[in-house]
Amino acid sequence: MLNYTFHWNQAFKALPQMLDGALVTLQIALLSMVIGLALALTLTAFRLSGNRILSGFATTWVEIARNTPALFQIYMAHFGLGNFGIHLSPYTALLVGIAFNNAGYLAENFRGALKAIPDTQTRAGRSLGMTPVQAFRLIVLPQMLRIAFLPVTNQMVWAILMTSLGVTVGMNTDLAGITQELNARSFRTFEFFALAAVIYYIIAKLVTLAARLLAARMFRY
Amino acid sequence: MKFSVLAFSLLATTVLTSQAHADKLDDIISSGTLRCAVVLDFPPMGSRDESNNPIGFDVDYCNDLAKALGVTAEIVETPFPERIPALMSGRVDVGVASTSDTLERAKTVGMTVPYFAFEMAVTANEKSGVKSFEDMKGKVVGATAGTYEAIALEQQVKAWGAGEFRPYQTQADVFLALSQGQLDATVSTSTVAQANVKTGKFPGIAVVGKAPFDIDYVALFTNREEYGLINYLNLFINQQVRTGRYAELYGKWVGGEVPSLSVNGVYR
Repeated sequence: MLNYTFHWNQAFKALPQMLDGALVTLQIALLSMVIGLALALTLTAFRLSGNRILSGFATTWVEIARNTPALFQIYMAHFGLGNFGIHLSPYTALLVGIAFNNAGYLAENFRGALKAIPDTQTRAGRSLGMTPVQAFRLIVLPQMLRIAFLPVTNQMVWAILMTSLGVTVGMNTDLAGITQELNARSFRTFEFFALAAVIYYIIAKLVTLAARLLAARMFRY
Repeated sequence: MKFSVLAFSLLATTVLTSQAHADKLDDIISSGTLRCAVVLDFPPMGSRDESNNPIGFDVDYCNDLAKALGVTAEIVETPFPERIPALMSGRVDVGVASTSDTLERAKTVGMTVPYFAFEMAVTANEKSGVKSFEDMKGKVVGATAGTYEAIALEQQVKAWGAGEFRPYQTQADVFLALSQGQLDATVSTSTVAQANVKTGKFPGIAVVGKAPFDIDYVALFTNREEYGLINYLNLFINQQVRTGRYAELYGKWVGGEVPSLSVNGVYR
């Protein structure tokens, strides 16, 4: 049984502060996605390159990013690198950690999308006189991005939720950090955490909705 | 006939009401177990020994309390931010967790009289050039999230208008960041600072001086409406000091001059 009287007015007073935090959260998530996408495309190119070292590098990255906890990756970006004298601020460490994670997952999304496009299309393109690069750029790549689009938005939602792990490396300006601090000050844990959960939910929903609308416009046949 | 009905109903009411009014103190005594929330990442107040058993001032304090109540103690490890959820969800009965008795928090939980008092000390990375509290201005400083000193230090950084404040989740993370040079300095309770510097796990750091924050009185806490239990806890704290057990425990875990738990010029 929860033996607790809720005081919502106390929590709502802190709402503007929490919404400021939500903006920081969204900013980190967006930046980490941009960096993650660029890295994922590079990793995909490495894998397709046929070069053993490059594809080995990409595979190692994907394996580590997908098979270790995001918490560990973020912690390593701050304290792990810190051990070698490389000091990333909590903001940067969080960004690096999530971007690393994003890149791994997105590279796998791209790989799956590539597999869904039959080889025969490339061959058909080639038989029409396209160079390999042209065939990839004009036939395969647009389809790959289309197939991967919704999984990518999935990752964006993940990125938003992963930002809450920043508190482990001393992040105090994002939504989770601000919520923690408000909680420490007043001990009104349940109100603040419930409010934070609702804000995370709304951001995630809005992002999904925006992605759907975008997809409907971009990918009309 | 009339009398017996009256007597019976009186008896019935007494039995029923006395059962309905069993408070937390009764629950603890009848269950035979006292569950204490203790922070085990906060030496010398709470930590674990080589064989992973909880040890520390707070652990001993909980055991003493259980002995006084005639029950067995159960130490429930709670990191700082989880002390209150643990109490509210009924996982623990009492917090023996070095909890500062701020008025803001007392709106949520019931605080006893102080059972311990901390002084704040500045610990700095030797390369940072921080030699005193004032030197921290403009530097990257940090403390354990949710503690009294973290709240005070963050306000100080805002007041200085320079530098950066970082809250970490555990005391160990603060000292790790300090040792790595990610933080220039930290403010922590002097007992914790000395205990951590002494472990040798964090090279390159040293206690450089006192922080001019108010003395941090910490209280036991339980649910706000459990007056019976709070009364008992207050008396228990009083007896711990009276019998010399407080001084004994202080000598065992901290050492040095025993801090006074009373404030001059005012009743509590």
